[in-house]
Amino acid sequence: MSYLDRFDISIADIKVDLMRTAYANDRALLNTFDPRVVLVWTVLFMIVPWLFYDPLPLAILLAAAFALAAVSQVSKYLLGLLLFGQITNIGFFFIAVPLIGGVIQGLGHVGDNIGRVAVAVGQGDLSVLTEVIGILSTALGLVVTTVMTERGAGISAVGAIVPFFLKLTIISVISLAVFSAMSPQKLSKGMLRLGVPRQLTFAIAYGYRMMPLLVEEYHALVNSFRLRSEVPDNRGFLNWRYGYYLLKLSAKAFYPLIFNVAKRSRVTVEAMETKGFSRSLGDEESRALRTGGMMVRMRDVSFVFASLIFVVAISAFF
Amino acid sequence: MHQNNIVVDDLTFEYPGGETPVLRDANLTIESGEFTAIVGGNGSGKTTLCKTFNGLIPHFFEGRFEGQVTVAGTDTRESDVAELSTTVGYVFQDFENQLVQETVRDDVEFAPLNHGLEDYAERASNALETVGLKHLEDRFIWELSGGQQHLVALAGVLAMDPEFIFIDEPAAQLDPQNARETYQTLRKLHAEQGKTIIVIEHHSEFIADYCEEIVLVSDGGVAWKHPVEVGLNKLDDLQANDIHPPQVTDIAATLPGDAGTLPDGRYPTTVEEATTAFPSAPEVTAQTAADGGVTATSTNGETALVELHDVAHGYPTLREGYNDVLDNIDLSVHRDERVALVGANGSGKSTLLRLITGLENPDSGTVRVLGDDTSDVLPEELADDTVYIHQNPEEMFVEDTVRSDVGYYLSNRNADNVTERVDEILEYLDLEHLADRDGRLLSLGQQRRASLGIGLATDPSVVLLDEPTGSLDLQSRREVTEMLNKAESRVETVVIASHDLKLVAAWADRVIVLRDGAVIADAPPRRIFSDTELLAESGLRQPQVTELSTQLGFESISLTADDMVERLGASTAAGSPVGDDTQ
Repeated sequence: MSYLDRFDISIADIKVDLMRTAYANDRALLNTFDPRVVLVWTVLFMIVPWLFYDPLPLAILLAAAFALAAVSQVSKYLLGLLLFGQITNIGFFFIAVPLIGGVIQGLGHVGDNIGRVAVAVGQGDLSVLTEVIGILSTALGLVVTTVMTERGAGISAVGAIVPFFLKLTIISVISLAVFSAMSPQKLSKGMLRLGVPRQLTFAIAYGYRMMPLLVEEYHALVNSFRLRSEVPDNRGFLNWRYGYYLLKLSAKAFYPLIFNVAKRSRVTVEAMETKGFSRSLGDEESRALRTGGMMVRMRDVSFVFASLIFVVAISAFF
Repeated sequence: MHQNNIVVDDLTFEYPGGETPVLRDANLTIESGEFTAIVGGNGSGKTTLCKTFNGLIPHFFEGRFEGQVTVAGTDTRESDVAELSTTVGYVFQDFENQLVQETVRDDVEFAPLNHGLEDYAERASNALETVGLKHLEDRFIWELSGGQQHLVALAGVLAMDPEFIFIDEPAAQLDPQNARETYQTLRKLHAEQGKTIIVIEHHSEFIADYCEEIVLVSDGGVAWKHPVEVGLNKLDDLQANDIHPPQVTDIAATLPGDAGTLPDGRYPTTVEEATTAFPSAPEVTAQTAADGGVTATSTNGETALVELHDVAHGYPTLREGYNDVLDNIDLSVHRDERVALVGANGSGKSTLLRLITGLENPDSGTVRVLGDDTSDVLPEELADDTVYIHQNPEEMFVEDTVRSDVGYYLSNRNADNVTERVDEILEYLDLEHLADRDGRLLSLGQQRRASLGIGLATDPSVVLLDEPTGSLDLQSRREVTEMLNKAESRVETVVIASHDLKLVAAWADRVIVLRDGAVIADAPPRRIFSDTELLAESGLRQPQVTELSTQLGFESISLTADDMVERLGASTAAGSPVGDDTQ
């Protein structure tokens, strides 16, 4: 079962890689800037891609976004997953457009000839069968030839859709980079200063705190299920039954997980009370202390300007 | 009356929707500067009592509240939880859920920041310094071990510099070494900073070693409060409330006449006291082959049930690269062995058990279970003969009743007579009255029993138990030992990983000591437990009875209190050396 071997090891690897994305941000470039500047910059760059229409400048922006992701230590698995999604999407259009075109042609042919079929059936003629087969095979031929000859249509459809996908990808990569580069403390500090309610910033910080715990617990629950379930005898083609069985277990394991989380939160809420959380909600002093020490420096401003100049340069030259 | 005391005056409290009050006319005074233990059976109301001190009751849990609680002169009803918490710090039993920020320093700073204290950073630094975690301040909470997390929770409380510090069962979720370190820290706080320390504690050995006063909570009221050596001598009261006295006190009380008493007529509570009270060195004859000649590697000519050959295994970590948990393990387990894996936290015990389940495959080497190489077989298939009982029983409950959890495996495999077999297991483990309840809502002791039921329902040959007595009170621990004996009649071998050396001493016939992922000793318990050096270097500690027998100069150590009583009793009765003590 060597494929399982590889599978198992990669679970531990994936876990650590994701942890690294979320938690190891000491060396990430974006984490060295003032969090408010980064947040504003992010909003700005969510809009920028929509101002471009041609694939080339968008592709350059995408390359820049990937460079940013690289220095932000984004998980290669997450990036891979994202790319896979986008590429299969485009591939889907490449195949689907000619195929649908062909099917429409074929159905049209059947529709045109439906009268003849009806008449033939009405007459009870023996030649009905051959007639129908003839029509259907012509229709099928039309499907195939359209698919084969109209690949151009597929390409142009993809051409039309590519800028849109590029824009979406740029935005996704940028937000991945930002949120994995910024430490949760900085993120919530910046948001708090920008006026986001403390309940929300706390929730983000708390989510970061609990995430690894939940991942471990979820893994343990899935294992519990595995040890007490029966593997399908017939694994099916390419082990699909086994895959389906694992998928089913993974979904089932969420219910006990949610239950356990609810149990945990009882203590957490009490503890927060003793730590004066609700007292601090409307407390100006507490907020000032929490958001103190932030400063927009020259390098923060230069970062924003440099990236804006980059965008302007792209729009001017391409 | 001193101004700085906690005074509970005729307190009655009933949770909303409750049928009877949890606390009834409780009266208690805790003076500033005490080091006090609060004891009581499960459900006696001791945790509820402690939650009145920081105002969680009645401010957070509203219910029928009669009487009065004053903290340093303030009526708790006239203050609020946040304010009271600056005077009364509280470390919860599941402290893990008390930590709400992602890094150590952030969590310790959380309360001072909430209170708008400008010197928050300094407070956090001091608190971290006190508990000895300064070097970990930038770590994420989830990267820390359980013991370290407990200290973070304590530091978070210390950051507010409270006068009183409550710790709910510090020893329950920690291994003995870590629990002892926590107590050392508490002792330091008490001695150097004059803090009032109050612990809720089941382990009377810790109480005897560290506390000054003991409070017994029984049936919703405070039965008494005494100095520790007096309180722990009230054996009848303790027994009636499911609290085990220290092993040495128990032994002293069982000895005939006043053979075990101190000059002032009471029983000893610590090993040191016991060494002066008990007749010393009752034996002069050399003890040979005290284990009945059983050696650790006896094979009986059979093939091993579990066989590990040259196994190495590890995990990638966030900061420290690849962590080699196990290295070069060669091990085989045979029919009818009672194997205990011991070792400090992180020594690889759980990883070893998981390798045997096949949930993970070794990085190198082979693991064979009943002849199957775990790398060639799915864990689901290995589970036909092997069962793994998780150290956290909660992870084993996947259905909403104990009955369906026990039957889950059987019905999944379309076994015959599922209902009868489930009924039989439920009866066997005395789980019938819990059968229709949700496993996750049971007490920990009940959860353990239910999790064993889930395991036994699979009719296994090999049972792997991870920390079967972890976070259990003593009553439940006794049940676990019984449960292990019961399980044994149905299976071929049981392997446990445990910190609980009392259990290991009393139950196992083969002890495997792990340190840093390697087996450093594999021998019968008597040999392991007499080697204090080995125990110390692997982060373990002799049980009281063993320590005592060493101190008394026994030639071969005692592993159980009964054995000790027998030998001491024989020596006092006959006034002559005891002969052979093989049992």
